[in-house]
Amino acid sequence: MGTDTLTYSVSHRTVLRYSTTVTLSYNEVRMRARDRGSQRTLAFALVSTPWAVPRSRVDYYGNFVHRLDVTSPHELLEFTVDAVVENSEPRRRRLTEWEQDALASDPRLEFILPSPRVPLAANTRALWHEWNGDDRSFDSVLATAQRIPQELRYVSGATTVESSIDDLLEGGAGVCQDFTHLFLAMLRGAGWPARYVSGYLGPVDEEKVVEGQSHAWVEVCGADGRWLGLDPTLGQHVGAHHLRLAVGRDYGDVAPHHGLFFGAASGAPPEVTVRIARMSNQQVDRVEHHAGVHWQQQQQQQ
Amino acid sequence: MTTEAGTARAVALGLPRGADECIEADGAVRPPYAELLATLEQAAAGLPRIRRDAQQWFADKGVTFGVPTEGVAPIFPFDPVPRVLSAGEWRSLSKALSQRAMALDLFVSDCYGAQRAIRNGVVPGRLVYSSTGYLRDIVGIRPPRATWCHVSGIDVVRVAGTFHVLEDNVRIPSGIAYALESRRAMESLAPDWFELAPVRPIHGYTGRLRRILQRIAPRQWDADIVVLTPGSYNAAYYEHRLLADEMNATLVEGHELIVVEDEVYRRDAEGAAQRVDVIYSRVNSEWLDPLVFRRDSMLGAPGLIEAWRRGNVAIANAPGTGVADDKVIYPYVPAMIRYYLGEEPLIDNVATYDLTDERQQAHVVANIDSMVLKPVDASGGYGIHFGRLMGSQERTEFLEEVKASPRQWLAQEEVALSRAVCLRAGGGFEPRAVDLRPFVLLDERPWIVPGGLTRVAGDPDELVVNSSQGGGSKDTWVLTR
Repeated sequence: MGTDTLTYSVSHRTVLRYSTTVTLSYNEVRMRARDRGSQRTLAFALVSTPWAVPRSRVDYYGNFVHRLDVTSPHELLEFTVDAVVENSEPRRRRLTEWEQDALASDPRLEFILPSPRVPLAANTRALWHEWNGDDRSFDSVLATAQRIPQELRYVSGATTVESSIDDLLEGGAGVCQDFTHLFLAMLRGAGWPARYVSGYLGPVDEEKVVEGQSHAWVEVCGADGRWLGLDPTLGQHVGAHHLRLAVGRDYGDVAPHHGLFFGAASGAPPEVTVRIARMSNQQVDRVEHHAGVHWQQQQQQQ
Repeated sequence: MTTEAGTARAVALGLPRGADECIEADGAVRPPYAELLATLEQAAAGLPRIRRDAQQWFADKGVTFGVPTEGVAPIFPFDPVPRVLSAGEWRSLSKALSQRAMALDLFVSDCYGAQRAIRNGVVPGRLVYSSTGYLRDIVGIRPPRATWCHVSGIDVVRVAGTFHVLEDNVRIPSGIAYALESRRAMESLAPDWFELAPVRPIHGYTGRLRRILQRIAPRQWDADIVVLTPGSYNAAYYEHRLLADEMNATLVEGHELIVVEDEVYRRDAEGAAQRVDVIYSRVNSEWLDPLVFRRDSMLGAPGLIEAWRRGNVAIANAPGTGVADDKVIYPYVPAMIRYYLGEEPLIDNVATYDLTDERQQAHVVANIDSMVLKPVDASGGYGIHFGRLMGSQERTEFLEEVKASPRQWLAQEEVALSRAVCLRAGGGFEPRAVDLRPFVLLDERPWIVPGGLTRVAGDPDELVVNSSQGGGSKDTWVLTR
């Protein structure tokens, strides 16, 4: 591994409390990243109380989805993902614009079309025009990513998970989800295929621990078909501390959890705790050593 | 029968000019109608009675269409004069519709597979990816026997003597029960008519459908089949009940199904859980599984799609077929036929324009007088705009709306639908516009029930033929010769 590889331990705990007993609940969880590019998952565990066997599939966008069905009566469901993820800084590339005709018959066309939470309205087109004029080049893409956090304020609680791009523009403040939706709308309006990335933002310093919510940013696709991550909340390229979980057209496709339950109960909003620690080399060695031991045991069993 | 004799009969019966399904422009009776007219000469006086008895027959059997108002769902309006197709007409129509149904099925399969048609520019990706019928969660699934559109109802209209396709229904095509019951009513009320005319039977439909459903079942030797209905408030609830009865299947609503470990169960009369093999679904795919599609749906069962993905239950029509009956996809069906089957289409579309294409949109705006615009996400004949019927103010406003959201509208050239002879309310005859919805079943090869549902416009001036718009039906005869 190169010196710029950062390794994180992530603990993502979700608690769902119901007002009365629930007889059956189904949950879909998108909390395991695919190994792609510079990012690799070294260890992963998903454990729930009440206990349920998670079953996984891969969704339309290539994300892992785990299903947790709890078939015994319960008033509380808690599930925790513990993962060790390593990542290094993606190479910064310049993207070239798509030829209209090439994009028209390419599956990535999907990512310039409106999606449920990213309507392509006149206001976001006008904003692109106000900032960049008629220029739709990659320079304007970068300039827009940098300008969004300058023009809009990051205020926790200013918006909710259901807020729209219009809410952000009217209130002038929001969180990463809102900034990401806005950037997506502007990019798509300008003809750049762009998708939503859900993930975490880890600490840069070694052995430092951060607690906080999930993060979100954008990946934009150039004519070579490759995606480049840009963070419109920080106004910069994504780095080794951007840990990707899932990609989709907008938040609706990548929500880390959604569930359904049977019973007369009402569900409170989930309590979510995310704890991310940057691991020291010593800690990493221990993980890799354990992973190796585990592998040997499996081999012996066969 | 000579043409002269035919003309004489048409005049003697007081058949209206303009009923071009039955009478040529020169007044001659079209050959398929010869036997029927011979019958009508004897029976004309009894027609109002037959209509009355038929309405009573439908009422007794509870044949209703539409949502019950004040407790009782309306009886499906019925016209006693059958519509007749010759064996030759039917042979070419059924060949054409088989071809179309196969191409639509291949298109659905392609959309959820390699998407060759998009990559090769046959169907624009922008239309597929923006279709509410394109369900991303089922991409990559291969249903049993690789069949998606087990039942298609393809609406055809006759324009200047030639059949054209008006619309494809491969989501949940309804109407077959009304065709079956129209025939039964006529057989019971006017049995002698069938002695003179060699009419092909249609009662084999439900048996055929049952056989197809059995073949896609995970346990074919002992398939438990259910008909999934949105409930008694659905307009076509009567049909759901009839199909369940005749196929020896259980009629269920979503809340009666439960998915356990990716297998689907229903409770039987004794309360025991029975494993379900096949769901003949009359619930739109988007409502089938709240875990995957619409989170607010109460009409399906959570986990159904995963059970289907794993092959533990078969669903017909397969979820996702809506991508092929999105109205904006329709203009590209002839291209699909050439692409997938390597054949020339045997039946044409009505001239239709994709408004998301700038050049086509300009053409529509320039020729708005001869255009009909239909909302893409509506059915039942609602929201249709006739260009020539709008005032200039209304037209300007409407075109602004269309330009702002071109994906929401489809433009077709207005066509004069053929008219069939219908019994007038106060006695005598009048011509009314008709269409025809034949039903294609896809098995190893396509099978089409002879005829289908002929729908009749509500009155002689009505331009839209739809059951939800006060139209009715009549029996459809396909002759053996």
